[in-house]
Amino acid sequence: MENQNDSIAHAPLPTAKTLRFRKNLLIQVWRFVAINIKMLNMIRKGHHQK
Amino acid sequence: MARVLILGAGIAGHTAALHAKRLLGRNNEIIVVSPNSNYNWIPSNIWVGVGKMQKQQVIFPIAPVYKRKGIEFHQALAKSIYPEGDSQIANAYVEVSYTDPGRLNQVGKIEYDFLINATGPKLNFAATEGLGPDGHTVSVCTAGHAVDAAEALKSSIEKMKAGNKQCIAIGVGHGTCTCEGAAFEYTFNVDHELRMAGVRDMADLVYITNEYELGDFGVGGMVFTQRGFQTTSKLWTESLFRERGVRAILGAHVEKVEAGKVYYEQVDGTKDVLAFDFAMLLPPFRGVDLQAFNKAGDDISSEIFAPSGFMKVDADYSGKPYEEWKASDWPSTYRNPSYPNIFAVGIAFAPPHQISKPRKSPNGTLIAPAPPRTGMPSGIMGKLAILTIKELLNKGPQAEAHSASMAKMGAACVASSGSGLTQGSAAAMTMFPIVPDYEAYPNTGRSLKDTYGEIGLSGHWIKLLLHYMFIYKAKGRPGWQFIPE
Ligand SMILES: Cc1cc2nc3c(=O)[nH]c(=O)nc-3n(C[C@H](O)[C@H](O)[C@H](O)COP(=O)(O)OP(=O)(O)OC[C@H]3O[C@@H](n4cnc5c(N)ncnc54)[C@H](O)[C@@H]3O)c2cc1C
Repeated sequence: MENQNDSIAHAPLPTAKTLRFRKNLLIQVWRFVAINIKMLNMIRKGHHQK
Repeated sequence: MARVLILGAGIAGHTAALHAKRLLGRNNEIIVVSPNSNYNWIPSNIWVGVGKMQKQQVIFPIAPVYKRKGIEFHQALAKSIYPEGDSQIANAYVEVSYTDPGRLNQVGKIEYDFLINATGPKLNFAATEGLGPDGHTVSVCTAGHAVDAAEALKSSIEKMKAGNKQCIAIGVGHGTCTCEGAAFEYTFNVDHELRMAGVRDMADLVYITNEYELGDFGVGGMVFTQRGFQTTSKLWTESLFRERGVRAILGAHVEKVEAGKVYYEQVDGTKDVLAFDFAMLLPPFRGVDLQAFNKAGDDISSEIFAPSGFMKVDADYSGKPYEEWKASDWPSTYRNPSYPNIFAVGIAFAPPHQISKPRKSPNGTLIAPAPPRTGMPSGIMGKLAILTIKELLNKGPQAEAHSASMAKMGAACVASSGSGLTQGSAAAMTMFPIVPDYEAYPNTGRSLKDTYGEIGLSGHWIKLLLHYMFIYKAKGRPGWQFIPE
């Protein structure tokens, strides 16, 4: 298991723009709504099994 | 009138109790047996463990809720199940030992028509020498453990401020642990706290896990679509580790812990020692210490429970090789095959196999993440047992049971990676289904539309919303039933 941290060292590093995106209030309010809808859809599927 | 006895007041048992009163309550009796006087919203223990929340914010006394709802509560530990009664008592019953200070250690016998075993896990620190609060590591599995973890972390931060470098080890303390998501979440909350304290450069933050790859989370990893590409939870998680400068030790079985030292073996057979100043390692889980006896008084525990101590339900326990398992081997009704009036829900049911591929080191050490049974499926199973009991009461023993297989159910996992309304962040993930179904989804085992991951501040808001929403629901406040499990 020698190369486990090599793999991390070569993983995609988020750019400054991506990091700003992750903290931008307007974008994040939109993502909050979008993720909640995704989660609700998934919950609905799980609750309605035959 | 029927009596429904629920063992355990965690996510599964408490959800079952509230729905039982709502759906069966008028003509039937609902009884809950649980050893603790408080309900604990366990997911928020992570924030207690970094000192961001007080213990009182994640627990509340449960007896007043049950009193208000008309549910009988016995603060006691279930010890033995007599599904056929015994020579003196004709009905099925459970023997309990009271933990209530007013009746401490008194023994009681509670009869039932339907039994729901929702006793969750036994935190099996004893499986690894030196592991846990009685050894050399801290934990966040209970609110009390989390308070101690926060104290220990604070003391490490003080040392860093005084100029001493510290090794912070976070992860799982055995090759067969589950709940890697919680260890992952705690790692990034600690990283955030260290940055806020201005000492991140003084810490070597190491994540030690039984997962073969990062992003496995005990579910064999996930495939997401992102910006027109399929990507893996491995790449996605590695990216977060790179961004935050966290080291990883993968495929590890912790053999023992001594003061300041973790001894571990990895899948390739190599053995090594990690010197640490602070270590939060989760324990492996097994079923709680429950026994079962038949009418003649013979011990039938091995018929009712799997060797892991979890209760057998309608799953395929034939022990086929991992490669031959199918989604359909997973249980859907959670009824015990020998006694169909007994249900096991949440962590208490015995899973038929690992979801993540089990591996053995050349020395024969099993390194196999156990399947996670998280909050949402636990709640759904608790409610399902009540819906089935309702059918049985209305239509008789031939009524069709409700079903909720983890191979047909999704899960949402929001792993916070820092708190604060504007500074927080979380990795929000959804997967559907939890148990991959390669017949329904041939390429990745899961729906690409519903399996998804994203990092950002919005995830932190979701985690916070879940905290308040689920505590509101657990208190049985008006409209609680409209909040999904
Ligand atoms: C630190 C941490 C963080 C987590 N974070 C998340 C998360 O973010 N999202 C998520 O979905 N899941 C999370 N989980 C998992 C989640 O907590 C579990 O899925 C959930 O608690 C399982 O519910 P349960 O009712 O089966 O077990 P529990 O919640 O453990 O409840 C078991 C109950 O049984 C009682 N009991 C035990 N023994 C007996 C006995 N002999 N007789 C009677 N009662 C007994 C216990 O006191 C308890 O009340 C986390 C887990 C941990 C440890």
